[in-house]
Amino acid sequence: MTKLSRRQFGMAGLALAGASLAGALPASAQQLKGGRLRVAVLSELANYDPQQLSTVNFHVIKNLYDSLIEYTPEGKPEPSLATEWTITPDKTSVTLKLRSGVTFHSGTPFKADSVLATLQKGADPKRGKNVFATMSIVKDWSAPDDSTVTINFKAPVPERQILDFLQFLIPIDPKGIDTVETVPAGTGPYTLVNRAVGQSLTLKANPKYWREKQPIVQDLVFTVFSEDASASAALESGAVDIVYNGSSRSAVRLKNAGFQVFAGPGPLVQVFRINSTRGPFRNKAFRQAFNHLMDRASILRVGYAGMGKVVALPWAPASPAYDESYNATYAYDLEKAKKLIAASGLSADELKSWKLLVNGSDEASVAISQIVQGSLQKIGIPIELDMRQGAEYVTALLGGDFAATFGAVGNVQKFPSRVATNSIYRTSGNPVLKDPHPHPDYVAAIARVDGASGGAAEVKAAYDNLNKVMVAEAFGIPTNSYDVGLIVASDKIGGVTLDIDNLFVARTIGFK
Amino acid sequence: MTETLARIKGLLRRLLARRGAALGLGFLTLVALAAGFATVLPFDPLSQSVAASLLPPSAENWFGTDELGRDILARVIYGARTSLLTAVGAVIIAALIGVPIGLAAGFYGDWRDSLLMRCIDVLLALPNILFAMALIAVLGRSQGAALIAVGIAGIPGFARIARAQVMALRQLDFVTAVRGFGGSPGYIMFRTILPNALSPLVVQAIVLASIAILLEAALAFLGVGVPPPTPSWGEMLRTGKSYLYEAPTYAVLPGIVLTLTILSLDTIGRALTAILDRDETDASGETIGGRR
Repeated sequence: MTKLSRRQFGMAGLALAGASLAGALPASAQQLKGGRLRVAVLSELANYDPQQLSTVNFHVIKNLYDSLIEYTPEGKPEPSLATEWTITPDKTSVTLKLRSGVTFHSGTPFKADSVLATLQKGADPKRGKNVFATMSIVKDWSAPDDSTVTINFKAPVPERQILDFLQFLIPIDPKGIDTVETVPAGTGPYTLVNRAVGQSLTLKANPKYWREKQPIVQDLVFTVFSEDASASAALESGAVDIVYNGSSRSAVRLKNAGFQVFAGPGPLVQVFRINSTRGPFRNKAFRQAFNHLMDRASILRVGYAGMGKVVALPWAPASPAYDESYNATYAYDLEKAKKLIAASGLSADELKSWKLLVNGSDEASVAISQIVQGSLQKIGIPIELDMRQGAEYVTALLGGDFAATFGAVGNVQKFPSRVATNSIYRTSGNPVLKDPHPHPDYVAAIARVDGASGGAAEVKAAYDNLNKVMVAEAFGIPTNSYDVGLIVASDKIGGVTLDIDNLFVARTIGFK
Repeated sequence: MTETLARIKGLLRRLLARRGAALGLGFLTLVALAAGFATVLPFDPLSQSVAASLLPPSAENWFGTDELGRDILARVIYGARTSLLTAVGAVIIAALIGVPIGLAAGFYGDWRDSLLMRCIDVLLALPNILFAMALIAVLGRSQGAALIAVGIAGIPGFARIARAQVMALRQLDFVTAVRGFGGSPGYIMFRTILPNALSPLVVQAIVLASIAILLEAALAFLGVGVPPPTPSWGEMLRTGKSYLYEAPTYAVLPGIVLTLTILSLDTIGRALTAILDRDETDASGETIGGRR
């Protein structure tokens, strides 16, 4: 047996200690190097407001901001800006302990006042955007001291819904809250350097970031590509390191070509959004016909290379409210659609007096819109497509300036009432349907789900009721779930973190 | 009338004597016939069959199928209607506006010439594609908007050629004679000078037709052309390029048809120019354009 000298023993001890320390870090992060990360994105962001949780903003939110809590990809809550959260036994209140030593990009210390200001903004119907609907469960809030915030609810709230709510809350710098659409005001791992609208967005590492050894790469450059094929070609040629949120079809092809593909745990559901305050869509039977006009299998195949599932409700299969029987009940059936249209009593001119708004920058939307157009043509309703590009489309979508359009919804794997964070499903301050909400049964169904904190039977009855109301009111016709925020990366990239909502998280990414 | 017909026949015969022009004329005739009689052909450009999407060329679908299972050949044929209609419409708009402007500018030659030609210069300074996109942004996406946009972009070409022709002809004896007999400016411009300036204008029409087809395709390729599902060669190129790996014929075959159409028009235009130039040279300055 070889005897170790004192020096050798000491070195071995240090090596062991180092190895155990290294073991505490993610394996991939151990060898990753910094540098300039070039990311191709397919959409121009709408603005920097983290409460505008639209798909077009998915690549920036988690890089400029932090949530109060995070979820692991498996859905387990973990601390972020809130280090602790205590839910009262009666589930009517939650108290948060805030992380100390965190500053906003402006240098302002992160304290309870920023959480209060963020809650205030979220509760404002004009400023709350996607967060506003979530705030409907909140009664009031207070800050006993700079590092503690207590949020009280109007009624007992299921624990999962409270956690979803905390994960959705992204503190904004109180000093910049009024200008947050144009100037980012977060605590995130990156700060804004430059934005060339429609072309690129350059961020640099936040030197005061609170997570140790993050972010790994110093410069983060997003280049906006109008074409999925161009973004793929840029990746293949080495002009970019990652393509974020490209098409499923390209991801399948690039994976076969040896690139890394990462699909997050939070799929989206594609929804045929109907503005029920306009033209023939005011007619309920006409809207209901669209439940049967959607050739969901074809839409999934053509639009998303078959990656996903057909759904007739806005839930991912993992959602507690998911009910597969609806897929068969509301399957593609032109005869049923024709009967409902006949029952609507609308004239032939009224039936075709609308245009289908299409995101011309999105190949999948163009293709699936033509499938719907083809189905309508088959039953004698010729309609035109209103093709709009980029920001012009986003403005129309978020402003409700359309009769009908395809648009994906998120939060479909979380607590069911979270669906109301999507603009078309908002219960108040709905930018499409406006106030007062034209579908009070839906608003009541969401409220019933929020209030169902009793036994399993009560909860299930609330979910069943919501599902029935959704297909009956038919202002949103879901067609399929699909992977959003697909990350296709070159083989030199490591440390990809999957976000529960499939947002792009750059802080752990580095070069091998 | 008989004289005009005889001239056209003569011109056609001389065109066909040139191999390139004959081939071009043959191809264009084929495209025009297919487009003209598309509705009686057994092709449906809109019929979808997603189960049969992105099929390679076969006996059933000669050019294969697109992502929605539509027959690509049918869409190429109907796309020819879009392209040719845009070309003809654009040439008519450009000629109807550009030729009178050029005639008036060249005929009067004073401040009116300066004013009109500066306006034309402004139009000429605008890049065609940007001008067309701006106009479509105002008018909305439609075949009519594309046609008008391309037509307006073609005005300067006709105006400048018409002006140059008038300036060359207005001092000649036959024009002086008509003026001496009391011919009004309008009569002199449209009945005396214009018939003798037609040849270069015909060549310009052919050149503009090829530009119009290319511009329409470019607009569709950029996503601001004729909205789907109306078939358009440019739109097929735009969508087909995304499927180059799965179905290369989707983009390549419409691209070949588009290229051959432009090539045919250009070849005919060049041949016509050569034939008409020879006419002028042969006439030794005695006759320009033929008709007096």
